[in-house]
Amino acid sequence: MTSGTSFDRDKLAKIHDHLHSHLPPEPALRVKALESLLVERGLVATETLDAWVEAYSEDIGPKRGAQVVARAWLDADFKARLMEDAAQAITEFGFEGKATGDLKAVENTDDQHNVVVCTLCSCYPFSLLGLSPAWYKASAYRARVVREPRKVLEEFGVSLGDDVAVRVWDSTAELRYLVVPQRPAGTEGWSQEQLAALVTRNSMIGTDRDLEVK
Amino acid sequence: MDTIHDLGGKQGFGPVDVNEPEAPWHYDWEGRMWAMAQSSRNTSVTIDWWRHVVEQLPPHAYMTIPYFEKWCMTDLALGVDCGTFTMEDALNIVGKNALRAEGASRPEVLNKEQILEKNRTSVKTFEEEVDFAPAFAVGDPVKTLSHSVPTHTRLPAYARGRSGKILAQRGAHPLPDKSAQGQEVPEHLYTVVFTAQELWGKDADPRDTVTLDLWESYLEQL
Repeated sequence: MTSGTSFDRDKLAKIHDHLHSHLPPEPALRVKALESLLVERGLVATETLDAWVEAYSEDIGPKRGAQVVARAWLDADFKARLMEDAAQAITEFGFEGKATGDLKAVENTDDQHNVVVCTLCSCYPFSLLGLSPAWYKASAYRARVVREPRKVLEEFGVSLGDDVAVRVWDSTAELRYLVVPQRPAGTEGWSQEQLAALVTRNSMIGTDRDLEVK
Repeated sequence: MDTIHDLGGKQGFGPVDVNEPEAPWHYDWEGRMWAMAQSSRNTSVTIDWWRHVVEQLPPHAYMTIPYFEKWCMTDLALGVDCGTFTMEDALNIVGKNALRAEGASRPEVLNKEQILEKNRTSVKTFEEEVDFAPAFAVGDPVKTLSHSVPTHTRLPAYARGRSGKILAQRGAHPLPDKSAQGQEVPEHLYTVVFTAQELWGKDADPRDTVTLDLWESYLEQL
C-alpha cells in the first residue's frame, strides 16, 4: 500500500545498498525494472513517457535559450526585462516550465565572463535549455570549475584576455542561471533568427565565449 | 552532512570531456528515466529529500554509476520506502515487461502537445511571502558557518568558514535542511560572492570570484 515517504535517511541508505548489491549492474535493466513497476501499478502510461521524450527531443532544447539571447541583443527593452526578472521575461516566449521559476540572467561583458555549475548535484534550467550536457553532470566539471575555472575554460577552447575576470555561479539553491553571451561584431542588421543560430548551448552555460559568425 | 556528492574543489579529476554530441540523451534508457522522473514521483517527496536520498547512495556507487542511473536507484529506493512496491517486487521484475495490474488505476495518457502544455504550466517559483525582514543587505560582509551539520544542507564544504559579500537578496525560500526532513521553513536567501583567493588561497587568480546562493542561517555577520 502506497504511503508517504519516511524521511528516514538510514533506512534509505540501507535500501540503496541492498538494491545496488542485488540488481544487475546494467543501467538499462535497472531503468526498465522501474518502468515495469510503475506501469504495473498504473502510475505511468508508456505512451506518456514516449511523449515526454519526444517533447524534450524535438521542441524543448537550447534553441529556446538562443531565441531569448538573440531577442535581448536586438531589443533593449526586452533585455532590461530579462536582466530584471528572467523567469518572467521568458514567459513572453512561452518557454517557462521545469526549473525556470527562479531563473536569473547574467551578462558577459568585455571584462567579465560568467560560467555556471552545480557542485552539489546538477541543477539546470531544463525548460529553457533542454537536457544538460553529460560533462555538466560529470564529477570532473563539478569539482574543478569552481577551483580552476580558467583551466577548465581552456579545455573548452575559451581564451580570455588579460583584463577579463571570471565569475563562477554555483547553483546551490533553486535559482537557475542563463549566461547572456556578447553579440559578435559584424552582425549588424541581422534578424533574430540569424542571430539565434549563432548562440551555442555552451555559451549560455559559459563554457563558450566568442561566438563564431558563420 | 559531509557526503560524497559535495564535489566542489575536490582535486584529482582529469580533463572535462568536452567533445560530446549535442543530443539530449546518449542512450534510450536515459530518456525513459528522464520521462519517469517528470511524471511519477510520490507527492510526499520534497525536492530536497529526493536530493538527499541521491546523496545516500553508497559512495562507490555515487562516483561510478551514470547520472540517470542515480535517478533510477533513488526512485527505486523511494518506491520501496513509500510502499509503492516491495524490495522483492523490484528485484523480481528485472527483465520482464509488465502490464497494468488488474485493479490498478488507469494512468493519464498524454500526447506531445499535452506534455508541452503540462511542462509549461509546471513552472513554479520557490520564493515565498514572509512577514520578517532580511537580516543582511546588499554589500554587507558575511561569514559562512565553519562546521558541517548532521542533516542535508546546501552549503558546500569548500565555502565553509569563508568571508564574502552579499551580492543580491533573493527573497525567502524553503530552507533545504528542513525541507529534506519534510518541514517547510522559509528563510531569506542571498547570492553571496567570494573572491577566488578567499576560497583557494593566494595562488588563485585575483580577478576571479565565485558566487553561491545561501540561506540566512548559513551566514553570520562579519
